[in-house]
Amino acid sequence: MTHSLAIKATGLVKDFGGRRAVDHVDMAVPAGTIYGVLGPNGAGKTTTLRMLLGIIDPDAGERLVLGHTAPRAVSARVGYLPEERGLYPAMKARDAIAFMGALRGLSWATGRVRGAEMLEAAGLGHAVDQKIRKLSKGMAQLVQLLGSMVHRPDLLVLDEPFSGLDPVNQERLETLIRGERDRGATILFSTHVMGHAQRLCDRLTIIAGGRHRFEGTVMDARATLPMRAHFVPRPGDEAVRALLPPGAAAAGDGFDFTVPEEGIEPLLVRMIGQGHGIAGLSIERPSLHDAFVRLVNAADADDRETAK
Amino acid sequence: MTKFMRQTVVIARRDFIAIVFTPTFLIFLLAPLLMIGFGAVGGMGAARMAEGGADRSRIVALVEPATAARMAQIDGRMRAIYRRAEMPPALESRAPGRDPAAAARALFEDDRIEVAAVLYGPLDHPTILHGPKGERTAAYLGELAEQTLLAARAGAGDPVSQPILSEYRRSSATDTGRQAAGFGAVFVMFFLTLLLAGQSVGMLAEERANKVIEILAAAVPLEAVFLGKLLGMYGVAILFITFWGTLMSQALAFMPDSGQTLIAIAPAIGTPAFLALFLAYFTLAFLLLGAVFLGVGAQASSMREIQMLSLPITMFQVGMFALASAAANNPDATIATIARVFPFSSPFAMAARAATDHGLAPHMLALAWQLIWVGITITLSSRLFRRGVLRSGGSLIPAWARRRSA
Repeated sequence: MTHSLAIKATGLVKDFGGRRAVDHVDMAVPAGTIYGVLGPNGAGKTTTLRMLLGIIDPDAGERLVLGHTAPRAVSARVGYLPEERGLYPAMKARDAIAFMGALRGLSWATGRVRGAEMLEAAGLGHAVDQKIRKLSKGMAQLVQLLGSMVHRPDLLVLDEPFSGLDPVNQERLETLIRGERDRGATILFSTHVMGHAQRLCDRLTIIAGGRHRFEGTVMDARATLPMRAHFVPRPGDEAVRALLPPGAAAAGDGFDFTVPEEGIEPLLVRMIGQGHGIAGLSIERPSLHDAFVRLVNAADADDRETAK
Repeated sequence: MTKFMRQTVVIARRDFIAIVFTPTFLIFLLAPLLMIGFGAVGGMGAARMAEGGADRSRIVALVEPATAARMAQIDGRMRAIYRRAEMPPALESRAPGRDPAAAARALFEDDRIEVAAVLYGPLDHPTILHGPKGERTAAYLGELAEQTLLAARAGAGDPVSQPILSEYRRSSATDTGRQAAGFGAVFVMFFLTLLLAGQSVGMLAEERANKVIEILAAAVPLEAVFLGKLLGMYGVAILFITFWGTLMSQALAFMPDSGQTLIAIAPAIGTPAFLALFLAYFTLAFLLLGAVFLGVGAQASSMREIQMLSLPITMFQVGMFALASAAANNPDATIATIARVFPFSSPFAMAARAATDHGLAPHMLALAWQLIWVGITITLSSRLFRRGVLRSGGSLIPAWARRRSA
C-alpha cells in the first residue's frame, strides 16, 4: 500500500549532542489527506519534519517521501513553510513567491504571474508590489505560505503554520489548507494548538518526548478517553447521588462523571426504577485537547518511570 | 541545464540583483575612486613634504673658490645622470676657514641649514662627514672630489667625450618585462580577490539572520546554495572589473609611451591568450578563496564573529600573494612549483607563468586541477555547514566517495 502513502517513515532517530530528540518515530501519511503532527513544545515535531524534508539526515530509520528515499529528489513536488519564517525583506511580495517557486523548479515568469493571482485571491492584492519589510507579520506569513504553494506541490509541509496569526488570518490559512487538500495535495502540518488540528486533520500523530504516542483519526484520539456525562437531578433529589458512579463530582447544578464501560443506559434504568427523575443529561465525547493532554501526561509519566 | 545548475542560477540571480540594485553597490563600485583620490591627495602631500625637505638639504664642500667653481661644473654633469627623485642634495661650497673640521661639525649643528654631508681637506685625501644613513650621499661627494681632481690634473673643465644619444625601441618583450608582467598579474589578481572574494565571508549571514536558510536548505542542495552565492558575487565582481577595466584602458590610451610599455611587458603566451587565462585564473581564484571564506563565514553565528574573521582571511590572502609573488620572481625555483601546485595559490602563480612561459598545456592542467578543488572546497564547506549549523549528522565525505570505498 506504499503507493497510496505520501510519506512513510520507519524508526526515525535523531540525536543532538547526546540528547535524543527523535526516538524511533514511525509515520504513515496517506496521500491526499491533511495530516497533523501534534506534540508539546520540544517534542521533536520540527526535527521529524526536517528529517522528512531532507534538511537533516536521520541517525537511524528510513523515510520514503512521495515514493523516494531521498527527499531532495522530489523537492520540486514538495512545499515547505518552516516554523521560523524567513523572507528577504527587500523583495517584493510577488517576487518572494516567484523566488520560492523558482527554487522548486518553477520559472520566474510563471511564479510572478501566479504570485500576483494568489495574493489577489488571498485578499492581499494591494501587497503584490510591496516589499516584504513593509508588510505586517501576518501578511508576510501568508506570502510565505503562498510561496510554498506556488509550484502546486503534491506534498505541503507546514511547521506551526498558525503561530503568530490573528483569527482572521488563521481562518484564511485554514481555507487555503483545505483548498490544497481539495486540489489533491497532501498536507502535513505540525501544531500544538488542538483547535486547528481538530478542525482540519483527517489523521494525526502525537509525538511527545521524541517518541510516537498515537496515530489515527481525530475521533480515534478522542476515543482514547471515555465519554463524560453531566447529570442534573430534579431539585431537592439528594438521594440520587448514591446511584452515581464513584468518581462523580458536583459541578454547577449537577454532577460530572465518566460514562461507565457498560454505557449510561443501565444507570438510567436504575435511577428511573427507583423513582428518581432526570432534569438534564448531556454526554460529551472528550475533545482532542483532553485526549492530547492525557496522552502527553501519560507519556511523561512513562518516561519518568523508564528513567528511574 | 541540469537541475543543480538551474537551482544554482536561481540563488545566483537573487544575490546578484540584491547586491547590484542597491545604493550601497554604487558606493562599493566607486570605492576605488575614493581610494585613488585619498591616495593622490596623500601622495601629493607626502611628495611636497619630501620635496620641501630635499630643497632644504645640502651637501657642502669646504674648498677654495677656484676648486669650488670646477667642482660645481663637474657636479652639474654628474647630477644629470640621476632621476629627480634620486638626485643627491644640492651642492654648496664654502671657504674652509682656519679649522675646517670644526667648521664641518658646526654646519651639522646649525639649524639654518640641513646638511647631509660635508667634505673638507685636500681633494686627494678628503674627509667627508655625513649624517646617519648618509653613506650614499657621502660616496657621491667622494666621487665628485675624484672627478674634480682628475679634471684639474688634466687641465680641462669641459667633458672630453661628446656622445650622440639615439633611442631604439625593441619589438619584443624582455625577460625582465615578462617577469614584471607576471608579478603585475599576481598583484592585480590579489588586489581583486582581496577586494571582491573577501566579501563572500558574510554572504550567508543574511540568510541565517532572516531564517531563509531553512527554505533554501529544504528546496535545494546546500552545494547549490554555496555555488549560487559565489556565482552571484562573481557576477558583481565581473561588473566591477568591467567598469574599472574600461576606465583604466581608456586612461592607459592617454598615457605617453603606453604602447611601448605594453610591448616591453608583452606576455610570452601572447596578449589575447594571457588575458583569457587571466580571466580564467581570476575566476578560479575567486571561487576557491570565496568558497573557503564563505564556508568559514557560514559557521559564524553573528556579525561580530564575521568581523573577527576578516583579519585571518586577509592574512590568508596575503600568504597566497606572497607565495605567488615568490613564484613570479623565481619561476624556476622549488617555491614556484609549490605555489603552482598548492590549490589556493595556484591561480595566482599560474597567471604569472602565463606571462613568462609559452606552453598552453600546463594551463589546461592547472585549470582542471583548480576546478576540482573548487568542487572539493564547496562540498566540504556545505557539509560543514550542514553538520555545524543545520546540525545534521551527514558525512563529510561525498556520497560517491562513500559508495566507492564501500
